[in-house]
Amino acid sequence: MDHAPARSSRPDLDNLTRSLHVPLDRIPVEHAEAVRRRVVTNGSVPSGTVPVAAFNSSI
Amino acid sequence: MACRCGPPNVDGSCRPISQFVLKVHSRCDLSCDHCYVYQHADQTWRGRPARMPPATVRAAALRIGEHARDHGLPVVHVVLHGGEPLLLGAAGLREVLAELRTTITEWTRLDLRMQTNGVLLDEELCRLLVEYDVRVGVSFDGDRAANDRHRVFAHGGSSHDHVRRALALLRRPEHRASYAGILCTIDVRNDPDRVYEALLAESPPRVDLLLPHATWDDPPRRPGPDPTPYADWLGRIHRRWVDDGRSMSIRMFEALRPGGGGTEAFGLAPADVLVVEADGSWEQVDSLKTAYHGAAGTGFDVFDHPVDEVAEHPGVAVRQDGVDGLCATCRSCPVVDRCGGGLYAHRWRTGSGFDNPSVYCPDLLRLIDTVDAYPPPAPPASGEWSATSPVDVVLDDLATGHGSASTLAVLAATQLSITRALLVAARDRSATPAAWELLVHLDRVAPEAVRAVLAHPFVRPWLVHRLDPSAPPGPAVDPLPALAVAAALRAGVPTVLPVPVRADTITLPTLGSLVLPGLGRSAEVTVRPGEVQVRGGSVARTVLLDPLASPSTGWFPTRDVPVPGGRLLLEDGDPYRDCYGQPVESRLEVPVARALGRTLAAAWQVVHRDVPAHAAALDGGLRAVVPLAPDPARPLRSATARHAFGAVAVAPHADPETMAVLLVHEWQHAKLGAVLDLYDLVEPGQDGRIRVPWRPDPRPPEGVLQGVYAHLAVTQVWQSRAAHDQGDASAHAAHFLGWTRDGVDALLASRSLTPAGERFVGQLRHTLEETRVGSR
Repeated sequence: MDHAPARSSRPDLDNLTRSLHVPLDRIPVEHAEAVRRRVVTNGSVPSGTVPVAAFNSSI
Repeated sequence: MACRCGPPNVDGSCRPISQFVLKVHSRCDLSCDHCYVYQHADQTWRGRPARMPPATVRAAALRIGEHARDHGLPVVHVVLHGGEPLLLGAAGLREVLAELRTTITEWTRLDLRMQTNGVLLDEELCRLLVEYDVRVGVSFDGDRAANDRHRVFAHGGSSHDHVRRALALLRRPEHRASYAGILCTIDVRNDPDRVYEALLAESPPRVDLLLPHATWDDPPRRPGPDPTPYADWLGRIHRRWVDDGRSMSIRMFEALRPGGGGTEAFGLAPADVLVVEADGSWEQVDSLKTAYHGAAGTGFDVFDHPVDEVAEHPGVAVRQDGVDGLCATCRSCPVVDRCGGGLYAHRWRTGSGFDNPSVYCPDLLRLIDTVDAYPPPAPPASGEWSATSPVDVVLDDLATGHGSASTLAVLAATQLSITRALLVAARDRSATPAAWELLVHLDRVAPEAVRAVLAHPFVRPWLVHRLDPSAPPGPAVDPLPALAVAAALRAGVPTVLPVPVRADTITLPTLGSLVLPGLGRSAEVTVRPGEVQVRGGSVARTVLLDPLASPSTGWFPTRDVPVPGGRLLLEDGDPYRDCYGQPVESRLEVPVARALGRTLAAAWQVVHRDVPAHAAALDGGLRAVVPLAPDPARPLRSATARHAFGAVAVAPHADPETMAVLLVHEWQHAKLGAVLDLYDLVEPGQDGRIRVPWRPDPRPPEGVLQGVYAHLAVTQVWQSRAAHDQGDASAHAAHFLGWTRDGVDALLASRSLTPAGERFVGQLRHTLEETRVGSR
């Protein structure tokens, strides 16, 4: 099977609410990993993106 | 982490590779007639050793590890493949797994996988796979007739019972963590309903449906006059899957949806995968072996060539060029972003090479139509059909400045969904499997208790801290045990769990903190109705949780305030509330907490009085307020954190009128942050800066977007007050309206927004045009 993680994409609404409608142990790890890559800040965040801290100091 | 790969390539980019397939055993105990390794054009397996020697495993691990180090990769994915990897036996497999874990984990997180036919899988091997955290995909083509059409032993005997026994082993609770899913190669002569039902019966976390490998030189079987038999066959399964509520993940269908992200077979994202053959040769993706003898070769090997050198190979590089790497027919196709030209190997034709559409192109086109058409979109409540997408509905509603209760519900749902996904991601890093099992159990029997805990604003910051390899150093204890205990307490489900301790404290999100000096690094927590018993270090204490009684010694319950939206937590105990980039206040003294609670409740009423639409948005999502540490130089401070939806931070202030403005302002940031989790409104990689009236220094586009959205709401507050106030309200409204207009115009002129961002800011502009303040 294709063991590669899901490629980066702009997830749609249905996809981002998917884990609400699936028991925790049935949430695919690949989906969890895709969400982690999307929301967890790391070195790949492009410059110009406001960091996760206080928006007041960022606007 | 910054990439340290050195000077960029000729085209200005570096090409990190994050996925590696290791052919640890090149022979197989089945003789499937559709196998691309043995039965198709490439026959290089004949000259390779049966098993990958230990020195080759080590060399491959070192190459992968150094590549991860040089590129700062947070994770690499390694798939053990063959042939049949289980032919290594338990001892041989252990040696390989130990080498990979030891060598690669020094530099990055290792996601280990295996693809197997399952025939040799037994309990000992399952235990080994669980021990080394290997997730296993099993090749299985469905019901007995379908499976045995191709998947047979050399003597022609059936493999069906062997594979089903392997799948049953992986389904056991003690092995379930290693069950990745099923790979099913389709054959249009099989009954799609029976295949679907056979797959569903194995409860796989995920199913990959694979088109049989074929090329323009050796086209796929197309029995009968139907021009698209594969699309029709898959369309039948798609309908069953949708009708069943998509009860298992089928990657092909998910990948083909708009924005589905793609797989190796679909989509335009770079294919960053390399193969290490049993003799140490670096090769391109395995499926190329169906094209011609030697098609996957690169001429490189793990002993003499680093990954970066292999990534420069033209056959690898072209796979990273997106649409530019496709043929002219594909580049002009309206659905090229969906299929991505199909699997690379399926494009092969002698003469033109891979510069062709997929040999399955007609089927892919029809299948995309099928995925789009079923289920049909539901008509809107008004009964009139609308072409507006869900994202546009959400953005248009928020562009009014506030957002309806239904939009807030959507945002809250997506935030909770994200937290649930992060919880699954964190499971791999948890040292307490019992905590995960308890959460899974409670999620089934007491879902509201789990929902209440996971919706707490500071659960996601905790999970993010745990998951982010670039997080600043500091204690980031395993969150799962405390989350499970909090959910068990809320559900009234007795349990016993070991829970990590941080600074003599166990924090139970939404409930409070146990602070017991001498607890040590871990404590055994026993949950009983109305109480918890804690044993750790030199401490053994029973803590009563009766909310009507005085708190037991060492128990600091989270305080709350009744507000129109429910109960607002005064969060001054959760350690992960410290996510605002400025100091937070430690636990408030009782009189101070009461005073802040009164101010917040009164401020909430002020918001209802001034801007009821914003009050409804607050009611729909604001659940906690974090007191910031006082700063005499800046007494009026407030903040929002992207990962802490549902909370804002404020410096305690006695005036409800002022506090109301702070709440409205910050809640705008929280809403927009939740939207930005879902959709890019600013084009990624924008380095430009925009001059704004509210700061002297030019700001990044996302900061300007946040600024105008907050200032729009503040304008609306002062606009409302101006209707009844003869003082400065009108001037304040005009002041903020000017800022907002200038910011919006600068954003629209910056060309830094995505189409969705353009639409959103355009709608904001429209809202501003309808906002009349004083003489402006």
